[in-house]
Amino acid sequence: MNITVKFFATFRRGREKIVNIEVERGSTVKEVLDIVKIEVDEIAILLVNGRDGTIAQLLNDGDTLSLFPPVGGG
Amino acid sequence: MLNSNANTRHNIRYSRQIIMDEIGKEGQEKLFQAKVLVVGAGGLGCPVLTYLVGAGVGTIGIVDFDSVGLSNLNRQTLYRTEDVGKKKVQAAKETLVKLNEDVTINTYSVRIDVDNIEELIKEYDFIVDALDNFSARYLLSDACYFQKKILFEGAAVSTYGTATTIVPDVTPCYRCLQPVPPADGITPSCSDIGVLGMITGVIGSIQALEVIKVIVGFGKPLYGRMVYFDGNFLELQEFEYEKTENCPICGKNPTILELEQYEIKCKMKIVDKE
Repeated sequence: MNITVKFFATFRRGREKIVNIEVERGSTVKEVLDIVKIEVDEIAILLVNGRDGTIAQLLNDGDTLSLFPPVGGG
Repeated sequence: MLNSNANTRHNIRYSRQIIMDEIGKEGQEKLFQAKVLVVGAGGLGCPVLTYLVGAGVGTIGIVDFDSVGLSNLNRQTLYRTEDVGKKKVQAAKETLVKLNEDVTINTYSVRIDVDNIEELIKEYDFIVDALDNFSARYLLSDACYFQKKILFEGAAVSTYGTATTIVPDVTPCYRCLQPVPPADGITPSCSDIGVLGMITGVIGSIQALEVIKVIVGFGKPLYGRMVYFDGNFLELQEFEYEKTENCPICGKNPTILELEQYEIKCKMKIVDKE
C-alpha cells in the first residue's frame, strides 16, 4: 500500500518535503519511521491524516503521515 | 474619565483599529481593560509587546531574567546596541513607554520557576508564551492549566515556527499535543541552529493577533489548531488536534497534579559537556 510522509522543520534537512513509500498491508507508523530513518524520540508531533497519531497505529492505503520535531525556541 | 484633549488623542491613536468592524469603540475599551503577561522578552516577546502596547492593551507584564546581548539584536527589535548589558525588562519598558504611555507596564526581572510562576501569572487574564526553551514552556503551560489562564503559544527556530492558542478545559492543552518534554539533546535551540528575526517576527505577530482576537472576541482563534510557518518554502500550514483522553494533565485520569520543574538540555549544551 502507498503511504505519503510529510516532513516538517529540521526533518526536511537532507530529505524531500514529501515522499511516497510502498509498504506492506498492515504496516504500522513505526515501520514507516524505520524506513525514513527517524527515531521515535526525535518526534514531537505525529499526525495521521492530519489527526493525532500513535507509533503503533496501523496504517491504511493512502494515509498521510506528518512528522514534526520539537520546536521550542524563541 | 479622559478630558477632551486626551479623548481626541486617544481616538486618533487608535483610529485605524476603532474604524474596523472587528474592533470598534467597544473592542478598544476591552483592550484597555485587559491584562496580558508576556513571558520572555526575546525574539517572540519583542513583536508581541510592540503590537500589544501599540494596540492599547491596558496592562502588560513582562517577565525576563536576562540582559540584552549583542547576538540578540538581529531579531529582538525593542533593543538598540546601546542597550547591551541592560536588563531586558528595563530596556523593553523604556522603548514601550515611548511608544504608548497609556499602557501600564509591569516588569519582573526573574527566571520563572515552580516557586514563582503561579504568583506571576495570578494577576493577569491572558498569558503569552514567548520563551526560548522547553523546560520553561512546560512549567508555564502547566501553571496556566492549573490557574485556568488562556495561553498563547508560539515557538520559532531557524526558518520555521509554530503557534496555537489554549483555553484550559475547553481546547486541547499543550500536553495533549506533546505529552512529555523532549529528551535531552533532541531539541535545537536558537543558539544551536540560529534563527532569523523575520521568523520570530512572523510567529510573534501571530501570537499578538491571537491575543487581540480573543480579548475583543472576533475571528476564529487557533483553538485546537496549530499553524506551522516555514520561511524557507514560504508555507503556512494548519492542522487540527484534539483533546487527548489520556493527557497527563487535562485527561480523564491526570497524573500531573502539581507543578514540576524540568531540566531539558538542548543540543549545544550536550555537546558542551562532552
